[in-house]
Amino acid sequence: MAKQNPMSKALVRRETIAGYAFMLPSLIFFLGFVVYPMIQCVYTSFFDATMNREDIFIGLANYKELFQDKTFLGALKNTVVIVIVSVPITCIFSLWVSSVIYDLKGFACSAFRCIFYLPVVTGSVAVAVVWKWMFNNYYGIFNYIGTSTGLIEQNINWLGDERFALGCIILILLTTSVGQPIVLYVSALNNVDQSLVEAAEVDGATKFQCFWKIKWPQIMPTTLYILVITTINSFQCFALIQLLTSGGPNHSTDTIMYYIYYNAFKLYRYGYGNAMGVVLAIMIALLSALQFKMAESK
Amino acid sequence: MKKRKITALLMSLVMVCSLTACGGKDTTTTQPEPAPAPAPADNAATQDTAKQDTAEPAASGDAAQAADITLWTYPVGSWGDAATVDDMIANFNAAYPDIHVTVEYLDYTNGDDQINTAIEGNQAPDIVLEGPERLVANWGARGLMVDLADLWTDDAKAAIYDSVENACKSSDGVFYEYPLCMTAHTMAINRDIFEAAGALQYLDEEKGTWTTENFQKAVQAVYDNGQQNVGAVYCSGQGGDQGTRALVNNLYGGTFTNPEHTEYTANSPENIKALELLKSMDGINFDASIAGGDEVNMFCNGTFAMAFCWNATQEKNNQEQGNINFDVLPMAFPSENGEPQLCGGIWGFGIFDNGDAAKIAASKTFIDFMANDPTQAPLSVQASNFWPVKDLGNIYEGDDLMSEYAKFIPYMGDYYQVVGGWAEARTAWWNMLQQIGSGTDVATAVEEFVTTANAAAAK
Repeated sequence: MAKQNPMSKALVRRETIAGYAFMLPSLIFFLGFVVYPMIQCVYTSFFDATMNREDIFIGLANYKELFQDKTFLGALKNTVVIVIVSVPITCIFSLWVSSVIYDLKGFACSAFRCIFYLPVVTGSVAVAVVWKWMFNNYYGIFNYIGTSTGLIEQNINWLGDERFALGCIILILLTTSVGQPIVLYVSALNNVDQSLVEAAEVDGATKFQCFWKIKWPQIMPTTLYILVITTINSFQCFALIQLLTSGGPNHSTDTIMYYIYYNAFKLYRYGYGNAMGVVLAIMIALLSALQFKMAESK
Repeated sequence: MKKRKITALLMSLVMVCSLTACGGKDTTTTQPEPAPAPAPADNAATQDTAKQDTAEPAASGDAAQAADITLWTYPVGSWGDAATVDDMIANFNAAYPDIHVTVEYLDYTNGDDQINTAIEGNQAPDIVLEGPERLVANWGARGLMVDLADLWTDDAKAAIYDSVENACKSSDGVFYEYPLCMTAHTMAINRDIFEAAGALQYLDEEKGTWTTENFQKAVQAVYDNGQQNVGAVYCSGQGGDQGTRALVNNLYGGTFTNPEHTEYTANSPENIKALELLKSMDGINFDASIAGGDEVNMFCNGTFAMAFCWNATQEKNNQEQGNINFDVLPMAFPSENGEPQLCGGIWGFGIFDNGDAAKIAASKTFIDFMANDPTQAPLSVQASNFWPVKDLGNIYEGDDLMSEYAKFIPYMGDYYQVVGGWAEARTAWWNMLQQIGSGTDVATAVEEFVTTANAAAAK
């Protein structure tokens, strides 16, 4: 044993070095394209930074301006609405669909997974164009169905009316968001220990009791992951806004991500845009921490 | 274990090298070196032709000049097409064999970022082809461009249209752009629908003009004939916003900025009256779900009877793609006296001040050749699919479409896009139209717009 120790230490060292060496490529990317931009983002948020001139240090002025900027506050409100509405619906809907399809025979389950996953792999531009067409004020299918069935008296300008635009965005977001959670839930439900379920059923447990007392606790880690990912995705809603409404009408679909883009890449106000980015990152981090905490306590 | 280590190290090296390669990657499309001088015996005839084609070297150019210069061009017609630009540079190199031009083709999505990044990295191109809103109001105003006063000779000033000349210089009179081509944005009507509604009587088909009063009558006639959507004041984004600005400004003679281009004047009584008129008209809808491109598509597919975002290129492209199956009649925007002030586009060359006198001189020679050489200038303009900024004769002889649209060029109005705070003002404009469309009082909305835009201009 005494002779083996130095050898195993050397082995461990060699393994460790090899491990780090394998990690190096992704580490370089991580440092270069994630860590460095993050630090730069926080740093620049304290400057009046724009193109083609030296940055001017302004301390917390960008942050002060941020919370007096009505458009930003509106965008913040819209973003929160999107998160509050879309995250629970995405989670509940995908759990429901998964519960229905996970024990179907192989082909049927795969077919359903494919159908729900299709919007995820479809390019967001293509998705947006198709939805824009369906919502069209003049010849969109929703107006056609609505008027021909008598549900609406005249065409509704879905994306051009501030009463409906954000709802339309959330609806589209839902269709593109549920695919991944469904696949994850199907996988998680398939991994639930069936012997426990069968034992409970023998003991007279109802289907709901089996789900709530046995399956739900076992798929909790998946639920937590889905919650965090869906929350982050909802906070970062950008492409749909950019492609469908540009934040309008009357800023009713402005989100923080879109407003960051507008300030940073249209007005070249990098410092201000970065300050928003920092605020958004803090919000996402806090919410994710809260979600982890709640899941742990359960 | 050794193999794993070596593999890991090799992978790391590959990654690092890829990163380095990314940083140093040259994305330019390098033009082929100028062809060597043709052999005297075999190619004498070719050489003579080349001499004739390129005429005399421009006055300011020295045929023995030698420099490597870069040209970055936005997609202004075929100036975004490598084959066309290659041909033009070959013409240039026939006259100036020792000036080597490297071209990079930009697009309007990323072009500004590419140029700004290049400026930040002291890698700005020598020449850039774009319009005064960038060359004069943006990079020129920031002191990044070379003063082109020596290209603006008295002859050049006499030849080039005044409105173009004014657009190419800063408010303190420094020329940062030498113009090549221009266009006047128009509107268009579906002639078949107007004819069926008996509305053609309200417009001058030959001149392509109409009065505000007749515009109202025509729209009403078309609407009464069953066309619910005669036209739309589109405002979902900034695409095609020149159309809505021109419409509003022309109806009662309002202006977008003051003549000095230092202040936004959209809150004038004329503009307020125009917006109130549009808001009250049957068949005209403020639509926050479409932008200029959507409006063009909906005009082409017959949803709308008129388009406010139109020009010759729109008609040409849509005809070629088979999108139009009716008679399109291009029209100027309606005005009280029937004399419109059209919103235009001007494109030309500017030179970034890279501190290299030889490159600057060679760049000026290149610009002079492309814009002023008697043989090359018409080709340069034709490549843009627009019209010359001075009288070059009918360069589109035999092209009915371009000849038809040429009648609008004299109506080109003030080129106000050089005003400060332009990017912010453009966004504020369509936001204002959205507000009006959703019921906000017109005077309140335009006042908010002007406050926002003027604040941006003052920065």
